[in-house]
Amino acid sequence: MRHLISILLQNEAGALARVAGLFAARGYNIESLTVAATGDEEASRLSLVVYGDDAVVEQIVKQSRKLVDVITIEELTTRDHVERELVVVRFAASGLAWASNHARVLTSDGEHCVAEFSGHTDDVDEFLAQLASRATLDGVARSGLAALAS
Amino acid sequence: MNAQLDTPGDISPKTHPRAGQALTGADVVVQVLADEGLDVLFGYSGGAILPVYDALFRHNLENPRADGSEPLPLIVPANEQGACFMAAGYARASGKVGAALVTSGPGATNAVTPVRDCTADSIPLVVISGQVPTAAIGTDAFQEAPISTIMGACAKHVFLVTDAGTLEATLRTAFHIARSGRPGPVVVDIPKDVQNTVVTFKGTGQLPVPGYRARLRAIEQTPLSDARCAEFFAALKASSRPLIYAGGGIITDGARDALRDFAHSFGFPVTTTLMGIGGFDTTDPLALHMLGMHGTAYANYAVDDCDFIFALGARFDDRVVGVPGKFAPRARTIAQIDIDPAEIGKVKQADWFHAGTLRTSLERLRAWGIAHGFQADYSAWHEHIAQLKSRHCLNYDRESPLIQPYAVIEAINRITKGHAIISTGVGQHQMWSAQYFDFREPRRWLTSGSMGTMGFGLPAAIGAQFARPDLVVIDIDGDASIRMNIGELETVTTYNLPVKVVVLNNVGDGMVRQWQKLFFKGRFSASDKSLHKKDFVKAAEADGFDWARRLDDPSAIESTIAQFLAFEGPAFLEVMIDPDAGVYPMVGPGACYAEMVTGDFIANRGAAPAAPSPTVASPTGMF
Repeated sequence: MRHLISILLQNEAGALARVAGLFAARGYNIESLTVAATGDEEASRLSLVVYGDDAVVEQIVKQSRKLVDVITIEELTTRDHVERELVVVRFAASGLAWASNHARVLTSDGEHCVAEFSGHTDDVDEFLAQLASRATLDGVARSGLAALAS
Repeated sequence: MNAQLDTPGDISPKTHPRAGQALTGADVVVQVLADEGLDVLFGYSGGAILPVYDALFRHNLENPRADGSEPLPLIVPANEQGACFMAAGYARASGKVGAALVTSGPGATNAVTPVRDCTADSIPLVVISGQVPTAAIGTDAFQEAPISTIMGACAKHVFLVTDAGTLEATLRTAFHIARSGRPGPVVVDIPKDVQNTVVTFKGTGQLPVPGYRARLRAIEQTPLSDARCAEFFAALKASSRPLIYAGGGIITDGARDALRDFAHSFGFPVTTTLMGIGGFDTTDPLALHMLGMHGTAYANYAVDDCDFIFALGARFDDRVVGVPGKFAPRARTIAQIDIDPAEIGKVKQADWFHAGTLRTSLERLRAWGIAHGFQADYSAWHEHIAQLKSRHCLNYDRESPLIQPYAVIEAINRITKGHAIISTGVGQHQMWSAQYFDFREPRRWLTSGSMGTMGFGLPAAIGAQFARPDLVVIDIDGDASIRMNIGELETVTTYNLPVKVVVLNNVGDGMVRQWQKLFFKGRFSASDKSLHKKDFVKAAEADGFDWARRLDDPSAIESTIAQFLAFEGPAFLEVMIDPDAGVYPMVGPGACYAEMVTGDFIANRGAAPAAPSPTVASPTGMF
C-alpha cells in the first residue's frame, strides 16, 4: 500500500541519508522524495512516498522517529491532507494548443514548448498521458510530492 | 574517581574556571572530556587526531592528581577496535559513558564494529575521530573515509563538526545523547583544521536537538496513570501463572532493586535474556536464569507454560522468540514496558504496554498493587516452577575422561562465589558462561549479545578492569574468539592489569561446528583448527604474562584454577576441553520451545525430536 510520510528534519549533514537509509535497509524503494527549506532555517520539510507492507512501514516510521535529527514524523496517508506535485515538460509544438488550455506554457520557440502543470499525482499522470497523445515529449521533470496535513 | 555528571551542563559559565579563555578545538575536546568526569580514555593516535593527542598530553602534564598520576590517562591498544571495546567494557561495567579517541580513515573504520556493537546492545559510548581537514573532505585525501556516512548507519548518532564554533556544544551534546533515553554510541568526527582553530571556551551549553529532547521528555515524564495500573492488575487477576521476561533494560536503567521488589511482592518468577543477566540474582528462588535458544530448559518450559508474560526492557529478539507465533503460546496477556517506543509491538503485539523508564514504572506498579491490596495465590505455579528446575536442571557428562568446559566454569564460580566480572567472546564458551555462572549483581556480565562480535572478551575485560579495579575481572574466551583481538594480551601486561584470561580451547569454532554437526551433516567447513600451530601459553608468555599455563588434566581443575585466580598480576590459562562438548539446551532455528533439544544429560519433557530434523537452512533464514 502507498504511504505518504511527512518529516520535519534538522538541517544537519547526513540527516537525509539516515532517513533514506532506514527505508533502503528494508529493501524499500522510495517512490518520491522532496526536501526543501521551511520558514525555520534550522529545519527542512521532507515528503516521502513509499509502497510497502503497512506493518513494516509503521516500524520504519518508528525507527525514523528515533533519529536525533528528526523533529517530527507523521504518516499522512491515514489522515486528512493535501498533496500536490509539479511537473515541467518539454514537448513538440504540435501539443501547444491543447497545452495552452490545460497547463501554463512557459516557453515556446515554434519547434518546442515547455509547460508546467501541478495537481494530485494522478492528475499529473493523466496530464502527461494526454499531452503525449498529442505531441512527442522531449523531457519530463516531476517534483515529487509536497504534502501537509489539512 | 570522579563521578560523571548526571546532567551535563552542570558547570555554569560563572563557575567554569576556563570560561572566556581562547582555546584550540583540540583543547576544547580535552576540557569537555575532563568536565564529563571521565577518568580514563582509550585510543590510538594518527595524523588527523594529533592535535587532540597533544592537548591531552599537556592536560595530563599540567593537571596532575594529588598522587601525581594523570587525570585522564590514555590507554593505547593494539588497534582501534580494541580501544572502542575497552571503552565499551568500561561503560558496561560502570554504567558511565566510555570514550575512545581514534584517527581518521582506518582508525575510524576500525571503530565501526564496536560502534555497531554498542548500538545493538544499547551501550553508552563516545568516539571522537579525527578527520582530514575540511577543505580536503571528499577528495580521497590520505587516510580519508566517509565516517559520518558510515557511522550514520551504525551509531545512535554522528556529528561531523565543520564549524569550530559549535564544537564545544556538540561534544557535550554527544555525551548527553549517548547516556540518555535508550543509550548508545555517538561519534564526533572532527576535521584537523577544526581541532587547530582557536575559539572562545564557554564552559556550558549544548545543541538544541529539539526533536530528540521533546521525545525524551515525553518518555521520562509520562508516569503510569492509575487507570493503566488498574488495567495491568485486572489482567493479572485473570492469570494463575505469571512470568517476568527481563532484558538488558533492567541493567541500563538501574532497575535491579525495583525488579526484585516487584517480583518478590507479587510472586513473579523471573527469566532474563542474555543481556538481562545480572538484572535479577540468579540464585534467587524465583530466578529461572536465561531463556531462549540456549536458555535453561526450565526457563523455556516455564515460558511455554505461563499464561501472563511481562516483558521488561526486552525486545523479543530472534534468539529468544524463535518463531514469534509460537512464543509463549499459552500467554493470554503479553505486557511490556520499554523506554524505546519502537520496541513495543515490534515482534509480538502487547496487550498492555507502557513506553517509559523501567525503574519508575515498576516502582509505580508495585506501589499501586500494594495500595489496592492486590493478592494472588501462585503456590501451584511456584510448585510447578520448582519441579521444572529440579527435573530439567543443567547437567553434563560428569564421568568423562576429558575436561568438560562446564566443570571449569563451575570451578571458577565456586571460587569467586559469583563476585567477579565475567567477559566473553562469542560462541559456545559464551553460552556455557551465561548458563553456569551465578550472577548476583548487574554489570558483572559483559558480552556481545546482539552483534555477537568474536574478539569482544579481552578488550572488554581490560576496560572493565579500569572501571572496577576492586573486582576480579575474568575473560572467559574461546580459542577462535581470542585470536580476533589477541594483540590486546600485550595491553594487559603493558598496564599491569590483574585481568584473568581463560581460553577454553576446543581447537576450532565450536559453535559453528555444533551447527555443522546438526544441520550440515558434519561437514566442518572452515571451522576446524587442528592444523593450527599456535601455542597460546607461549603467546601469553611472549606478551609478558608471568603466569601462563595449560590445563589438560581433569583432576587438576580445582587446584589449577585456584592458583590462577589467586595470582596477583595478569594471568593466562588455556584449558584443553572436550572438543565435542555441546551447548544444551538448544532451540533450533525455526523450532519452538517445545521442540527444544536437551542433549544426553538434561531431562527433556518429551516433545523434542530424537534428532534435530532441519538439515538445510532454517525456515526463518537466520544463522
